[in-house]
Amino acid sequence: MKRMVILAGVCLALAVHAAAWAQTRPDFSGTWKFNQAKSSPNIAGNTPIVPFPSQLVVKQTPTELHVDGTSVRQQPTSAVYKLDGSKVTIKAPSGITESGEAKLEGTNLVITSRRSFTSPLGETIVDFKEIWTLNGNALTIEKTRTESESGDSATEKAVFDRM
Amino acid sequence: MRLLFAAFSVAVLVGSAMPVQAHHSFSAVYDGNKPVTLRGKVSKLGWSNPHAHIYVDVVNQKGETVTWEVESASATNLLRAGIRKEDFIGTEVIVKGFLAKDGTPTVNASSFTLVELKKEYTSDEATPGAR
Repeated sequence: MKRMVILAGVCLALAVHAAAWAQTRPDFSGTWKFNQAKSSPNIAGNTPIVPFPSQLVVKQTPTELHVDGTSVRQQPTSAVYKLDGSKVTIKAPSGITESGEAKLEGTNLVITSRRSFTSPLGETIVDFKEIWTLNGNALTIEKTRTESESGDSATEKAVFDRM
Repeated sequence: MRLLFAAFSVAVLVGSAMPVQAHHSFSAVYDGNKPVTLRGKVSKLGWSNPHAHIYVDVVNQKGETVTWEVESASATNLLRAGIRKEDFIGTEVIVKGFLAKDGTPTVNASSFTLVELKKEYTSDEATPGAR
């Protein structure tokens, strides 16, 4: 009897924990359209230092995050991240190698990625870090671009509206 | 009259065959997925519209000096921002931009900084939506 009570207690604790986790775990799924008026003014330039997509289509499952981005001036991007933070290869345009990882940190999603390509400078490596935050029907992405050679870094913030 | 018409036709044909520095779309020439930062000395300047062209000598990872062509905003826009032609020659410049698709040392500048003069220019050619 005592064993049954302990087992029931453990099951209850796990159920409560799972329910609480599900409630606090954000779901970024949806189609998101860039809102220029609510975003950093520097993103609106002809060739912004920190580029963002015009539209994002996100599908989130308990273990994965599918992110498809389209832009006016860039080729479409497509990535499938594992939400346990393990490294994945990102489908990149020809001549570019990119890998990244995503993980949930509280109510934020943090995506880090490394892009490398050859240029007349030599091998160029650029690191990106994105912090995604949901606020109702708005998705805010704070993105930092850092170049490994120069250590040069820039951060901008973009807001996307749910469509 | 016939001679005049022939001369005019030849002039039109020759003119259309000459290379023109057109106001092209960004995506036709540059790769928005390849951001680069350059640091070097300005060796030449093309002070023109619709784009000023800054030629910068940059030392690559092999220690070789490569002259990069940097496409910037128009000379008119640069003047409006308080940047003059005289500010460039021989000065050190830091350029942030995007690499040309053809792999040549050509870049479209998002911004540049004239190091000695501490003058910075950021492209503000706003267009709807992000890139």
